[in-house]
Amino acid sequence: EDLSGFSRICSPQRGKLDKTAGTSSIEIMDVELGYSLQPVSLIALLPHAHFLLHSLSPSSCLAMCSQDIRNTVGNIPMEWYKDYPHIGYDLDGKKIFKPIRTKDELDEFLDKMENPDYWRTVHNKMTGTDLRLSDEQVDLVHRLQQGKFGDVNFNEYEPAIDFFSSEVMIHPVTNRPEDKRSFIPSLIEKEKVGKLVHAIKMGWIKPRRPKETAPKYYDLWAQEDLNTVLGRHKMHIPAPKMRLPGHEESYNPPPEYLLTEEEKLAWEQQDPEDRRVSFLPQKYSCLRAVPAFSRFIHERFERCLDLYLCPRQRKMRVNVNPEDLIPKLPKPKDLQPFPTTQSLVYRGHTSLVRSISVSPSGQWLVSGSDDCTVRFWEVSTARCLKTVEVSGAVKSVAWSPNPAVCLVAISYGETIVLLNPGLGDKFICSATDQLISSYEEPEESKEQSVQWTIAEGSDHEHGQRLILKHPKAVRQVTWHGKGDYLACVMPDDNSSLQVVIHQVSKRRTQNPFRKSKGMVQCVSFHPIRPYFFVATQRYVRVYNLIKQELTKKLMANCKWISSMAVHPGGDNVICGSYDCRLAWFDLDLSTKPYKMLRHHKKALRGVAYHKHYPLFASGSDDGSVIVCHGMVYNDLLQNPLIVPVKVLKGHTITHDLGVLDVAFHPSQPWVFSSGADGTVRLFT
Amino acid sequence: MSQLQARFFTENKKYAIDDVPFSIPAASEVADLSNVINKLLEARIADHKHVEFDFLVRGQFLRSSLASHMDTENISTEEVVEIEYVQKFTAPQPEECIMHDDWISSVEADSEWILTGSYDKTARIWSLEGKAVMTMAGHTDVVKDVAWVKRDGLSSLLLTASLDQTVLLWEWNSEQNKVKARHCCRGHAGSVDTIVVDPSRTKLCFISLAELKCLKTVFSLSVPTEEEDEVEEPNRPRKKQKTEQLGLTRTPLMTLSGHNEAVSAVLWTDAEELCSASWDHTIRLWDVETGEQKSMLTGSKVFNCISYSPLCRRLASGSTDRHVRLWDPRSKDGSLVLLSLTSHTGWVTAVRWSPSNQHQLVSGSFDNIVKLWDIRSCKAPLYDLAAHEDRVLCADWTDSGLILSGGADNKLYTYRYSAYVSDAGA
Repeated sequence: EDLSGFSRICSPQRGKLDKTAGTSSIEIMDVELGYSLQPVSLIALLPHAHFLLHSLSPSSCLAMCSQDIRNTVGNIPMEWYKDYPHIGYDLDGKKIFKPIRTKDELDEFLDKMENPDYWRTVHNKMTGTDLRLSDEQVDLVHRLQQGKFGDVNFNEYEPAIDFFSSEVMIHPVTNRPEDKRSFIPSLIEKEKVGKLVHAIKMGWIKPRRPKETAPKYYDLWAQEDLNTVLGRHKMHIPAPKMRLPGHEESYNPPPEYLLTEEEKLAWEQQDPEDRRVSFLPQKYSCLRAVPAFSRFIHERFERCLDLYLCPRQRKMRVNVNPEDLIPKLPKPKDLQPFPTTQSLVYRGHTSLVRSISVSPSGQWLVSGSDDCTVRFWEVSTARCLKTVEVSGAVKSVAWSPNPAVCLVAISYGETIVLLNPGLGDKFICSATDQLISSYEEPEESKEQSVQWTIAEGSDHEHGQRLILKHPKAVRQVTWHGKGDYLACVMPDDNSSLQVVIHQVSKRRTQNPFRKSKGMVQCVSFHPIRPYFFVATQRYVRVYNLIKQELTKKLMANCKWISSMAVHPGGDNVICGSYDCRLAWFDLDLSTKPYKMLRHHKKALRGVAYHKHYPLFASGSDDGSVIVCHGMVYNDLLQNPLIVPVKVLKGHTITHDLGVLDVAFHPSQPWVFSSGADGTVRLFT
Repeated sequence: MSQLQARFFTENKKYAIDDVPFSIPAASEVADLSNVINKLLEARIADHKHVEFDFLVRGQFLRSSLASHMDTENISTEEVVEIEYVQKFTAPQPEECIMHDDWISSVEADSEWILTGSYDKTARIWSLEGKAVMTMAGHTDVVKDVAWVKRDGLSSLLLTASLDQTVLLWEWNSEQNKVKARHCCRGHAGSVDTIVVDPSRTKLCFISLAELKCLKTVFSLSVPTEEEDEVEEPNRPRKKQKTEQLGLTRTPLMTLSGHNEAVSAVLWTDAEELCSASWDHTIRLWDVETGEQKSMLTGSKVFNCISYSPLCRRLASGSTDRHVRLWDPRSKDGSLVLLSLTSHTGWVTAVRWSPSNQHQLVSGSFDNIVKLWDIRSCKAPLYDLAAHEDRVLCADWTDSGLILSGGADNKLYTYRYSAYVSDAGA
């Protein structure tokens, strides 16, 4: 029934084809329908068309085969057959001829206008014929377009038999045996897992980063320091407020605020800037009588000018206590011991005492004076034990630092005398004499600039042992630390023979310098190393005696060096100068003075270091001796500590000369000073 | 005017008064109190003569008004004050001025004779009246110290030490007035500065101020730093041996070394113990038997002289910082100064305890003044004996009531003090 109905629809115009068509016509129609109606509906129709096709029974399909006019031309554009009378071929290979008369546009239009079935007419491209769809076919199309099954009677909601349910049945649904792979470990998986494991081991795969739980937004001001906020605003100074109006400004002030005539006059005569109030208080009977304030704009303007022009800012003032700028020095009280009081006066000289020297034992003191005598004193009692007269003003005395020898070098005029005072141990004294007399004249004696002669007669009885005659006046004589070498200074501006060094044991004289580098003031041996210090007027030169070269040149920054002393450690030198200054040099530090002390009021004449205590002293023409604490540290990083501790006075100034020489006791913190008043004083 | 309750007492029975508290004005001074006591004594004893008294409050002499003294000493004025009174130590009266030719370096007096050593290289014996008895010239240099050794009837033994590094032992016969050098002791390499004889009179000790302990080779390069003091203990020459040992040179028995610097003073504290003071700021006590150091007292300044009193067992030292200090030699920790007596203005060169009074000592100084101290009044000396015109170098006491002092003005002064204080103070 279905089929017949269908064929009727399919062949509205050709009765022959109705029966011959069959399933194939349906197919054609299907395609034709889809194409002509709507492209979208065609897609929707396609599966249903197949369904239609399949739903045809095979027998009917075979029955229609005889009349099958199915085009076999394939899926080619039909325009290719435009110029041919046929259009493709059927299954038997016969040409399928086009309908005799093809419709043109006008026919098409007329047909559209006149034929009421035009809407259900579709064109079969394959055969070039038109088909009129029957009611059933249109209905079918509509059903398919709505997504319904083509068969009206098909119940799509029939109850389904649940094969695969949760219930375990007695018999399996399928009898298929289990796959082998379901129980054999998979090699591919193993390979994949192995690769992953390897990648994890190599670190190529990293564990997933934990998700950051921090909130994406934060408190902008939570971290802000309160101080910075305050710091930003601390410079803020609010504008000064205007004074609130008082009774004076009232339109009806109490009578005591009103000015009298004299006060008014005074107010008017005052300079506007000096006035206490800028207006005259006035009294009105009522507010209505108050005139306009003529100066209002002016006053506002002034106020604005005040706010704008008057800079409101804090002035940062550095409060420095002037006492904080003074370097912190330890108190002299903490630096004891140092000499504080005058204890003994050694009287006896009748003229100024130029030079003093203390014996290495500290028991004796020798002093040389302009009264042509050398006196030997007992330190502890100020007793003059011995007086030796020489034939000239004594310029310099020096006790030999070797305690095994009892020798004093005395310079006067052009002569240096080595004198055995005979004090102290008799054995040492006699040994000294023996040592001097045991000298043997070398066979080939060189011509020397200095004459060495042995004292004889009364000179010998007075203790003189060796007499050295120099070509020029000798000003200073100083011993080397071991007591064999003796350096003496003969100042002369342009002679190379200014400094000579004598060797007592060999009675030899050397002139270490060939050239004159200025007038030599004083010389000194380094206490430990083979260095030699030569002070000229402005410089101190340090020579290496072994290498015979200049090691250092110290700039004293003063006009005329008068005296020099070398620290027992050997790394520090002090220089006194005639321009009231004392320069402390640290040889490790610089060639310029480490410190300049300007404590004296007049020229310095003598400086000295203590052998053991950290003390040094300077004597000056102002009659005072200044004792300073001069601590030198072994630590190279620490600079010497210099603290003036005491001004010792006692010497009277005679002929504008005060203290001429200072010397320390070798073991006690005592200082000796000799002065122009002919005395030697001991300060303890 | 505030009043104080005071009770007076004395140990001198002669001046004892009733043991009852008196009410006295707080502002009263020594003279007022002395008048009070005298008034009381007059009431008690009919023939009482006026006596000056001195007053002690808790062992300290009253030197100002009673109120201020108690204020400074922190004594309560609420309670009854115990005031001890003693007869006032009258000022020593200058007696003789013995002129020398040169500085007097040392003096030692016994009950009959005064022995002085002088810088004119001689030692002299004087009678107590100041008459020159004997001059001993044998040294070739300044005589630094002298000491009596023994008196055997008319003949006496005495010692002189000199800068010429020798000590001479002399025998002096006071009747024939003959002197004879017996022995010459050598051993020092420097001048001999101090000489002391031990209490048993069998040993003597001498020291040198500035001796250096060095090898006897001039070429020695080592710088000697150690000083030594030496003890010489010659066997006392017995009478029999004297003729045989005439002029014999003696050498030291023992050398005590330990001081780092010059030794300035030495003394015997008893028969076996020696005490030495040095410029290295220490006082050391030595055991003579073993020759070892027993203890050490450390000061801060150079010591010039020391003196020991067997009565109060205290050591007094004079140093270059013008203080006289008292030490307890038995204290082991060593640096305890019991008392400082400060009044001098120069080096203290001589201190000497009184032989009879445990509280008194004299000190001589380079400020030309000899001071008499009572250690119960440590603020100020009892008396200043300002007779010298130059530095005082030595001082001594005798049992017979003489204080002697010699100095650089070539004068030896003697002062007589009242000996009766001994029983009052003892």
